[in-house]
Amino acid sequence: MGAVFGLSLRQMIGKRRMIIIVLLAALPVALAVLLDMFARGDGDFNENFISTIVDALIVAVVLPLVVMTLATAAFGNELEDRTLNVLVLKPVSRLSIVVPKLLGSIIVTGPVLVAAGVAVTAIALGGGGARALLATAAALSTGVIVYAAVFTWAGLISSRSLGFALVYVFLWEGLVTSFLSGARYLSVRGYTLGILHGLDEETFTPLAGRVIELPAAIVGAALVTIVFFVLTVRRLQRMDIQ
Amino acid sequence: MTTSTASIDVREVSKWYGSVVAVNDVTFQVRPGITGLLGPNGAGKTTILHMIAGLASVSKGQIEVLGEPVRGNVALYSRIGVMSEHEATYSFFTGRQLVEFSAKLQGVGDVKAHVDWAIDMVNLEDAQHRPLGTYSRGMRQRMRLAATMVHDPEVLILDEPLNGTDPRQRLEFQDLMRKMAADGKTILISSHILEEVETLADTILLVVSGKLAAAGDFRAIREKLDERPFQVRIVASDPRALAAGLMRLPEVGSVTVDPDGSLIVLSGNVAILQRSVAMLAKNESIRLYRVVPLDESLESVFSYVVAR
Repeated sequence: MGAVFGLSLRQMIGKRRMIIIVLLAALPVALAVLLDMFARGDGDFNENFISTIVDALIVAVVLPLVVMTLATAAFGNELEDRTLNVLVLKPVSRLSIVVPKLLGSIIVTGPVLVAAGVAVTAIALGGGGARALLATAAALSTGVIVYAAVFTWAGLISSRSLGFALVYVFLWEGLVTSFLSGARYLSVRGYTLGILHGLDEETFTPLAGRVIELPAAIVGAALVTIVFFVLTVRRLQRMDIQ
Repeated sequence: MTTSTASIDVREVSKWYGSVVAVNDVTFQVRPGITGLLGPNGAGKTTILHMIAGLASVSKGQIEVLGEPVRGNVALYSRIGVMSEHEATYSFFTGRQLVEFSAKLQGVGDVKAHVDWAIDMVNLEDAQHRPLGTYSRGMRQRMRLAATMVHDPEVLILDEPLNGTDPRQRLEFQDLMRKMAADGKTILISSHILEEVETLADTILLVVSGKLAAAGDFRAIREKLDERPFQVRIVASDPRALAAGLMRLPEVGSVTVDPDGSLIVLSGNVAILQRSVAMLAKNESIRLYRVVPLDESLESVFSYVVAR
């Protein structure tokens, strides 16, 4: 498994891809710094900050885009370059191929996104607030894991997975779950915000009207991760490989 | 393993994609030694090899390698080595890293010893530390072969392995394959180039349009091919004088003069014709500008065999 993990990291950590990821993650931090400088005195600063930067920008846009960039490429690049047969023609289980690919996406994107999220939360709170910072780290880590599972599967299903993933993120995660409260139980954004709010209700009060309960968020996130992980392994076992 | 045992057993196998039949009811066995899977491009060779390697499912029929079903049987890959037609590989790896990567996934005991042996077998020690992206096609093919055989498999399945290799590399490759065959390995090699397989394989499987057109001893099939008439276009300085001379040759069936002045010669034996034309032109002081076989393509050769 170590050899495939090392290979996955080398494939993922391309210069151009890492620049895109770091720039995307730096965007909310830069915006948070600007807001902190020019809008700190506003009466509804905290509410707007959490709604706009944390939810609408980090959780709804940056998180899925960053994970999508890497996770769809985990198998997508192998299929495009026709190198997947190098892996599957070895005496290793399909599980031993999927796990390192998934871990690679999580390990490369997770720290960048968690660091950006924690930095933004720290700026919003003016420093301190360990519970809020931990809640942010836990929620974003969960989001990274669930999205990685979904997009790794997508990369194995279609060569146009990036396009499909973009449509899914903006239509389902961005639009539908904003208006249909029931859809949040089937949404990675819903799980991420549910965990964020559930772990620190006081700080993230502005999210109260649009989150699902903490247990539902945890169970939902675990179920979606497991389902897409199993689907990926099954797909790799059954697909015809060129 | 005795030579009477089939290492690869393909029974009544078909493969279709929607309404397109890629392979149609193919049955054959491959025994230790070198077997060539021969056929024109698009005949279904790669699909057959992919099914044998377990990369593709069969729509109908059964395939066993070393007595076991291969599809979904990942443990079997420690006993077989498969090199696909696609030359793409991880270009950021050095040649040695590719072979090491393969050895690690194969779970071989002493990785270094196996890697050294495999690279030595393909004669690429000097280039082993260079990135694969800097290799020529032939070098890349050889290093991929080293990665394919690093675990010393009992069965080697090679899809168009000689693509991009130069004549010297081909000879080295042929020597290597013969050595491995002499060690009792089963080697199945696909090619769309007749001569490539002719010099290498003891037995051939001829595939045309997804069907097994002929199987068995190469020489018998080749004789059948040699009997067919070939058309050759000749452009010369004095076509009429050459035509008159050619009509006297026993191996020439007919000669026609094209409006552009070139000769179209129908011959039952192209090998003899080539020598006779050169001799005739020299004796008559005629200059030969071009001698081009018009139907040398494998497609026409295979069509002929199938039609008979």
